Amino acid sequence: MLPAIILSGLAVGAVYAMIGVTYNVMFAASRVMSFTAGQLGMLGGVLGAAFIGVLGLPAILGFLLTMAACAAVGVLTEIIAVRPVLKSLEQHLYVLSTLALALMIQQVTSITWSTEPQPFPNLFGFQGGGATDEKFWLPILACAVTVVGLELLYRRTLIGRAFLAIAEDNFAARALGLPERNLRMASYALAGLIGGLAGFASGQLFLAFFANGAMLNFYGFVPVALGGLGNNRGAIIGGLALGVFQQAANFTVGGVFASVAVFSVFIVVLLLAPQGLFGAPAQRRV
Amino acid sequence: MIITRRSLTLGSAGLAASGFALASPAIAQNEPIRIGWLAALTGPSSAPAIGFDRGVRLAAEAINGAGGVRGRQIELVVRDTQGDPTKAVNAAQEMISRARVHAIWGPTNSGESLATTPIMARARMPNVHPCFVDALIDPTRYPNAFRMAPSNTQIDDAVSGYGVEILKVKRFAVIGDTTGYGTTTVNSSVASFQRREANVVYRGTIDATQPDLTPDMLRMRNAGAEAIALWTVSPGLISRIMNTRANMGWDVPLIGHPAMGSGEVGQLIAKPENWQKTYILGFKNCSYGADGKLPAHVQTFVDGIRGKVNLEDTTLWWIAAGHDAVTVIAKAVQESGSTDPAGIINYWNGVRGFPGLYASYTWSPQEHNGVPPSDLVMSEANSMRHGAYRLAPGYA
Repeated sequence: MLPAIILSGLAVGAVYAMIGVTYNVMFAASRVMSFTAGQLGMLGGVLGAAFIGVLGLPAILGFLLTMAACAAVGVLTEIIAVRPVLKSLEQHLYVLSTLALALMIQQVTSITWSTEPQPFPNLFGFQGGGATDEKFWLPILACAVTVVGLELLYRRTLIGRAFLAIAEDNFAARALGLPERNLRMASYALAGLIGGLAGFASGQLFLAFFANGAMLNFYGFVPVALGGLGNNRGAIIGGLALGVFQQAANFTVGGVFASVAVFSVFIVVLLLAPQGLFGAPAQRRV
Repeated sequence: MIITRRSLTLGSAGLAASGFALASPAIAQNEPIRIGWLAALTGPSSAPAIGFDRGVRLAAEAINGAGGVRGRQIELVVRDTQGDPTKAVNAAQEMISRARVHAIWGPTNSGESLATTPIMARARMPNVHPCFVDALIDPTRYPNAFRMAPSNTQIDDAVSGYGVEILKVKRFAVIGDTTGYGTTTVNSSVASFQRREANVVYRGTIDATQPDLTPDMLRMRNAGAEAIALWTVSPGLISRIMNTRANMGWDVPLIGHPAMGSGEVGQLIAKPENWQKTYILGFKNCSYGADGKLPAHVQTFVDGIRGKVNLEDTTLWWIAAGHDAVTVIAKAVQESGSTDPAGIINYWNGVRGFPGLYASYTWSPQEHNGVPPSDLVMSEANSMRHGAYRLAPGYA
């Protein structure tokens, strides 16, 4: 029983962690918490099911099209919901603009796709439950690929260093001649890719369901808060821990009380460490 | 005789008054019979109302085509409530005060009906509905409301009866989703099993989005469950339970909610065989017997509408119940002689064994639950054909 809890907990937690990273990547480039992060995850599952399951495209082509579409949605988020409110960040207008866009994405999906969960095709033929079932190891693999990919991107490539530069101080980065707007759009495209990958990899676990967006928005935000805003390592560890704890709570206290248990722990952690478990206290120049 | 101005005025007023008094019954006798139809035709819970609507329109067209009821045509006043209790309340009030309907069919889900039933009771509006929640029927508080479907208690008893009396199982796991419906139905279902002296070895609720149910089902198996009673309308949860059952190699029957037989479940299960040994609540009139046929009068109805009405994307019982609703309202007007609300309610209070397509209805002043327990059966979940299911094993 314990292996089943850990396995499903890690799989679910990997998805939460990737959505947490999606939040962080968008935040790093724009200082905006975009509530479209969960919807990108939902779109990854729905578009994957549409391209491969409904249209019958080869899995690799369906995957590439899904990634391209999610990256495009990421860029659209920047253009429609983020760029217009960047001048008044302190008013937190982005809460409204990104939430509105997230709701629009969800409603359009429910109208054009379905209000009921739809099947996500089996990709590699590994089924039957247990550790070999791809619905469990695919999200974990996708999370590992994301971690390694981001490390390589940020440490080994010029564009990755440019991302870090605008995340650190976008005024200074601009003064150095970095194309801040283009880099911000690229960050949102990257966030679209990570969110889409999370949804695609977890399609068999969560099914292709329009309401997954709201659920991922919610549970994807928890690792961000637990790990510290903008801290990808914290989001990964927080996401995995959340997944395992949630599945354990499902098993031990069950149903309606599982969410209560999860959020009780979440609140306690934030009371003890308001900056997150891995975040540093914000420093202010005086 | 001298005609004064005063007598002329009085006489004219008297004539006018008598004229209106004479004319009003004539208008009432010719005006259409307005049936309000509170339908959740759009929104996430629209599937039943779409099915009911087909039956409603079939019945109205058939009655109007045959000359109406006492020469009066049926006019449907349809309002889309979208499954929202607020919209249902507004629509009910508008039907009562502005559209001035003579009877209302619906709403078709209990959440809406809980909100509209007191309003209709205050207006003494004759109301028939297919909602399951027990509290919706109370002849003292709501003498105008009549149920054309089983109550939750009847459903619980039908499922527990099948499990204990026909499957001969004694140890049950009873589970539901974490919605209000799931949690309350688990409680009532457990009580029903216990009334039959069955042993409920596991009870619990599961979040419909929980991706892996292996731990929960291992606990059920370890507790010694020999059958699982499942109460949810979530195809995702249902299919996950079926897939996990197959992965565990656990040959245990699933019994319970009709949603386990929906087409969405068929799409979500990993293999067709995962759908076997699953038995859902069904209705005798809308179930295929051993000969593969429906009861004769229902078979005639189905044969008559084949090609005109789509039976493949809905269930037959929804169409049949919608048809019956209009029929019982029309019959009440026919028998009581008018659209007077008291007359309609009085007629329904005396109905005995009304031969509907969906069920044989019986109401009395003390009992407004119209479907007799004998009309409830269990069906094989994976056997849907033309909107109807095959009887589950164990029925003669």
